[in-house]
Amino acid sequence: MYRQRGEDVFVVDAHVHHWDASEENIKTDGGEQFIRCFYDYHTGFTPEDRQWSLDEYRKYSADRMVEDLFGNGAVDMAIFQPTHLHEFYKNGFNTVDDNAELVDRYPERFIVNGRFDPRDGEAGKRELERQKEEYDVDGVKLYTAEWKGDSKGWRLDDPETFEFLEKCSELGIKNIHPHKGPTIRPLNRDAFDVADVDDAATSFPELNFVVEHVGLPRLDDFCWIGAQEPNVYGGLAVAAPMVQNRPRKFGEIMGELLYWLGEDRLLFGSDYALWNPDWLVELVMEAELTPEQRDEYGVELSTEVMRKVMGENAARLYDIDIEKKKKELQSDEISEQFGLGDDYAADAAAD
Amino acid sequence: MAGEFPSGEPLTSAVTPRRSAVRNALDGVTDPELDRSIVELDYITGIELGGGETPSDCGSDATDGDRGSGTVTVRLSLPTAWCSPAFAWLMLVDACAAVESLPGVGRARVVLEDHVHETELTEGVNGDRVFAEAFDDADGDLQAVRRELNEKARIVRQHRALDALLDAGATPEQLVSLTTDDVAFDPDGPDSERVVVSVADGAIRLCVPRDSMVDYVEKAESVGLDLDSGPLFRTPEREPISVDEFELVRRRGRLASVNMRGQGGVCAQLHEARQRSREAEGAD
Repeated sequence: MYRQRGEDVFVVDAHVHHWDASEENIKTDGGEQFIRCFYDYHTGFTPEDRQWSLDEYRKYSADRMVEDLFGNGAVDMAIFQPTHLHEFYKNGFNTVDDNAELVDRYPERFIVNGRFDPRDGEAGKRELERQKEEYDVDGVKLYTAEWKGDSKGWRLDDPETFEFLEKCSELGIKNIHPHKGPTIRPLNRDAFDVADVDDAATSFPELNFVVEHVGLPRLDDFCWIGAQEPNVYGGLAVAAPMVQNRPRKFGEIMGELLYWLGEDRLLFGSDYALWNPDWLVELVMEAELTPEQRDEYGVELSTEVMRKVMGENAARLYDIDIEKKKKELQSDEISEQFGLGDDYAADAAAD
Repeated sequence: MAGEFPSGEPLTSAVTPRRSAVRNALDGVTDPELDRSIVELDYITGIELGGGETPSDCGSDATDGDRGSGTVTVRLSLPTAWCSPAFAWLMLVDACAAVESLPGVGRARVVLEDHVHETELTEGVNGDRVFAEAFDDADGDLQAVRRELNEKARIVRQHRALDALLDAGATPEQLVSLTTDDVAFDPDGPDSERVVVSVADGAIRLCVPRDSMVDYVEKAESVGLDLDSGPLFRTPEREPISVDEFELVRRRGRLASVNMRGQGGVCAQLHEARQRSREAEGAD
């Protein structure tokens, strides 16, 4: 558990992947270009001495992932956000079923989300039911820019998508994570556009819409929508690592997000393995706004605010009782393996 | 300013322009998402003068009659192979037109490198096709994309102008009713680096950096805002701003600026990472 000035901060990394972009798994040029683009994001926003080689980055073992996330206690729990990309990768890139294997091994630590693609029609709905039955998913990751046949994407406000959102509502899948950020091919019908979130969020007030990457090329549109729709949240993946080499910009973005959405609607995510929480969590926790930024936005990155952003908000959406969870984590396999048990022992900081 | 030819490059129509003149012309072309020059962003990877490249027409209206005979090829590379094809198209078309506006240039050819759709984009723009022909799954109007990005650039530039005026001591009440008549763009002659703005019925004069106002007016005019009738500054929806909503409009402008700067930071980082990996590959 992360500790700041003697206070514990329970960290839920709300955006992780276990992907396979090995050369054997790549189906088309798109797959190769996709992982290379990810790798540019990785090297662009990772301290030089923490960068992976492209080969390491293509495919990493479950053991490595577990150590990166939990080994130094940076993260307490992690939520998988699947990204199938079957058009690019023979066995998919980062699938629900592959992710679920890790949940199976470490049920205390990982949560898996499902996914759907409205272009899959009735078969897609049955698949969503299967994901709920088999893995009891509470959320879905949606990749609106995913290619399928001739189609290069879809929108949250398509009538077919609404049918799937209704299905989510019926099944009790309440957290919808649309990827709205850097994208693979924004044409006019483009995944930069966050306007479709507005419609969907208004039409499904019982669902939470966690816009991943805070719509970064469209942070302004996203915040404007978020200010009006109480069930819209921001996922900080991609924005967070800017703290590393663009700290002023990170401060501005946090200032805007806290100003327009507030501290209860932001979720930390590393986007692992794009970035590694074993260094990222500490940098984000230590970030400060400049005096000018504090004046301008009237907010601070206090421990109290950051505790919400780093874990409490995700815990609320995913029904995690943090105090109860700490007790469970005291003696789970990962605490044993990395000697973390004492971190979770009777709330040391509060005594 | 659009259409203005940079000084210091004497050219005649019989002579192929210098590389620096081409670069100057390209400097006026912006990445529409970031509202910054493609030269400053280091997107230009090569400029070739002369040669027998296939002529192009890059969608410009110029007739061949008033052109020189030189051929110019400009090569560009964007921060990622996945950069929006729509944005890439706009940059290529604008780059081509900017170079063809130079005296001495017959035809310009623009070549996009290291992009997923480099072939469609390069052939499409040079072959004088429209975006929807080059990408048959494009479903909409590219001009709408341009308008939207221009509108965002206007909001960001307005924010910069308002900040400069607020810093100089203007009040929201004064700013919402300002018109172009209140602005003296060249108070000290044509090389003026400042602009004088009259507020409070001319009772108070404020000096602000010239760029902040000129850049705003240029973009406001390019999006078709009628500055001759009505106030100089408008809401993002282009309405006059009431005093009550001034602070909200200012904050929305700030948000748009933060978004543009933030995205600019991401692009710059990716661009550097890509250049490093290219260099590393080259060294192997």
